[in-house]
Amino acid sequence: MHSNIGIIISREFSERVAKKSFIITTLLMPVLMLILMAAPALIAQFSTPSHRRIAVVDQSGLVLPALIADKSAPDYLSLVASSAPVDTLLADDETDGVLLVGSDILSNPSDVKLYLRDAGSMALEMGFQSVIKEVVEAERLKNYNIENLSEIMKEIEADVHLQTIRVDETGESESTSSAISFFVGLAMTFILYMFLLMYGQMVMTSIIEEKNNRVLELVVSSVKPMQLMLGKIIGVGLVAVVQVAIWGVLICLMSAFLLPVLMPEALSQEVALAGAGALDGADARFNPELVQAVSLLGSVGYIAKLFFMMTLFLIGGFLFFASIFAAIGSAVDNIQDASQLQSFAIIPIIVALMFSLSVGNDPNSPMAVWLSMIPFTSPMVMLSRIPFDIAPWQVWVSLAILYVSFVFMAWIAAKIYRVGIFMHGKKPTIKDLVRWARYK
Amino acid sequence: MDIIKAENITKRFTGHTALDNVSVSIREGSIYGLLGPNGAGKTTLIRIINHITAPDSGTLWFGGHRLVAGDVARIGYLPEERGLYKKMRVGEQALFFAKLKGMKTSEATAELKKWFERFGIMGWWNKKVEELSKGMAQKIQFIVTVLHRPRLLIFDEPFSGFDPINAELLKKEILRLRDEGATVIFSTHNMESVEALCDDFTLINRSHNILSGNVAEVRRRMGRDNYRLTFQGDPEALLAALGNNVAAHKLSEPVETSEGVHFNAEFTLHPGVDMRSFIRCANEAVEIVTFDRALPTMNEIFIRAVEAANAGQQSVGD
Repeated sequence: MHSNIGIIISREFSERVAKKSFIITTLLMPVLMLILMAAPALIAQFSTPSHRRIAVVDQSGLVLPALIADKSAPDYLSLVASSAPVDTLLADDETDGVLLVGSDILSNPSDVKLYLRDAGSMALEMGFQSVIKEVVEAERLKNYNIENLSEIMKEIEADVHLQTIRVDETGESESTSSAISFFVGLAMTFILYMFLLMYGQMVMTSIIEEKNNRVLELVVSSVKPMQLMLGKIIGVGLVAVVQVAIWGVLICLMSAFLLPVLMPEALSQEVALAGAGALDGADARFNPELVQAVSLLGSVGYIAKLFFMMTLFLIGGFLFFASIFAAIGSAVDNIQDASQLQSFAIIPIIVALMFSLSVGNDPNSPMAVWLSMIPFTSPMVMLSRIPFDIAPWQVWVSLAILYVSFVFMAWIAAKIYRVGIFMHGKKPTIKDLVRWARYK
Repeated sequence: MDIIKAENITKRFTGHTALDNVSVSIREGSIYGLLGPNGAGKTTLIRIINHITAPDSGTLWFGGHRLVAGDVARIGYLPEERGLYKKMRVGEQALFFAKLKGMKTSEATAELKKWFERFGIMGWWNKKVEELSKGMAQKIQFIVTVLHRPRLLIFDEPFSGFDPINAELLKKEILRLRDEGATVIFSTHNMESVEALCDDFTLINRSHNILSGNVAEVRRRMGRDNYRLTFQGDPEALLAALGNNVAAHKLSEPVETSEGVHFNAEFTLHPGVDMRSFIRCANEAVEIVTFDRALPTMNEIFIRAVEAANAGQQSVGD
């Protein structure tokens, strides 16, 4: 009798894994994600804007020299000094736009207008704005007649990048950045969200299908309904685990082999230094956050650890929610009837996702701790907290609660399932489900 | 020996009682008819025998011991509402069901090949179920039900969806399985097939067992004072001769045959009037062509018993 659950699991598993759609999504998804992440850079690389000629009418005489001296101005921009009226300038087809700087720019810094023939660009506007701001500020400072002003300014200029070091009990230190932790946590939460909904609903729809098919009647004459339900949940869960495992291996492989090859050499040197803890902020040519992020992504051990934790919460969360979905699927005749009951599973998942978005503000707030203990929200909220290196006991307690809750939920779900699969016709209410759970 | 002995089974759902103190005994090696109107509680009883649901009270014995979960491996159940996994291939699916009943893959494959050859459906092995017609799928379901050579077979409306030729094939297979030692429980509304196949039966109405016994015996008992007579002569003379022996009669229109004009008549005699005096009286009045006991059909018994039970229940209720 016990091996029956194994037969059910293997049927559920092989039916799904052998599907073309599974193989395609499993292999294509990481590629797609990479493309999505790389897309902005690629677009920037391949789409240089067309040449732009802007006439500058500088009535103050202060801005134009600074604009011409500005090194960060894009190459496609050419500036021409002029004093003609704006209308005449714009009548010329050669000119794409006119920048009109008022004579009284120092006292009225907003007296600047940019006339453009076609759509403006953010980069262009921001560039002009910052140059003019600098000019005005510098001129105003000059009025105070401070000696060696530019030297002083250079000296006091500071570029602050906070490196947070968390010291754990073993005395080892790990450098973390809240921003990176936040994004890593968010990525994992999103993956979990997707999996819980996708695979949870897969359990539900497949039970509804079996019920409508009436194949259930044939199966339950050899298998206890409880075994059938658990077999389906575990079988579908294994598919999810296999998919995550394949993605995990792919990402580890990429971080081990692909990342070092693709990185600019200068960046990889800094990453190596940062890894050894020997990076001096003053020498850094790259944004330290970027260096840290790359060094994290390049650390296979770190990624493997995160994937391991994610898998534990994925399995626990899936088992828990799939039990709810299974009970609902057994009770209804079609997906339309399920929509109302489904909210019992879907709303907590969405609430957890929403909360995870704000967990970065204070990963150790009482709300965050509680939500990461309650099984309805714990998988996702806890996953978004893990990258912040929270106390390990919290993680294990949360996992323990989650798995115990699954056993309890599966027990109730099985009681509903056992009655629900033979109910046809009437759309059940939550009251019906509670009553079924009480049958002997 | 009884393979199934259900003692005082009661099963309640919210708002109604599906089975109320029902007891049933089923002889090993017999074909047993489980009859009753829709919603009477037959399917609930079958599910209890299949260990799918548990009774609220009462005991179920299987082959001398209390029914346990492991016993379902020795039971084959073909439900009335039956389906298959549509996307799965026929052979693969049959193997899946066989393994659930505890068969080894090699053993199941060999047995399946035998059955597929006997039914002439070897070509379906690699077809997907969704490509099969309803009748074809029914054959697969039948094979899956009997493959593991169960001691007890339960068929719920097995002939629905079959054309007459395949229904006959199925009937033969059921009888063959019985001859090989299996016990068959047969739930159906088709009373002709009950007369043709069943040894014993029980009639469940509104969750109560209202009539059970041996099919032939019950028919004899219920038709004790009924006789059918075909005769030549004057019907009026016959009725006069029978006088007040007859409680009720039915007379057909005259039938022209090569041997002359025949009348068919059915008589219900008063209790205590014996058959020989009836024949004597009739013989003096008319020329008897055939004389027969008029056994009620199972259909008549079904309707009579259910109506009587409902009337009785109602009068009790009023």
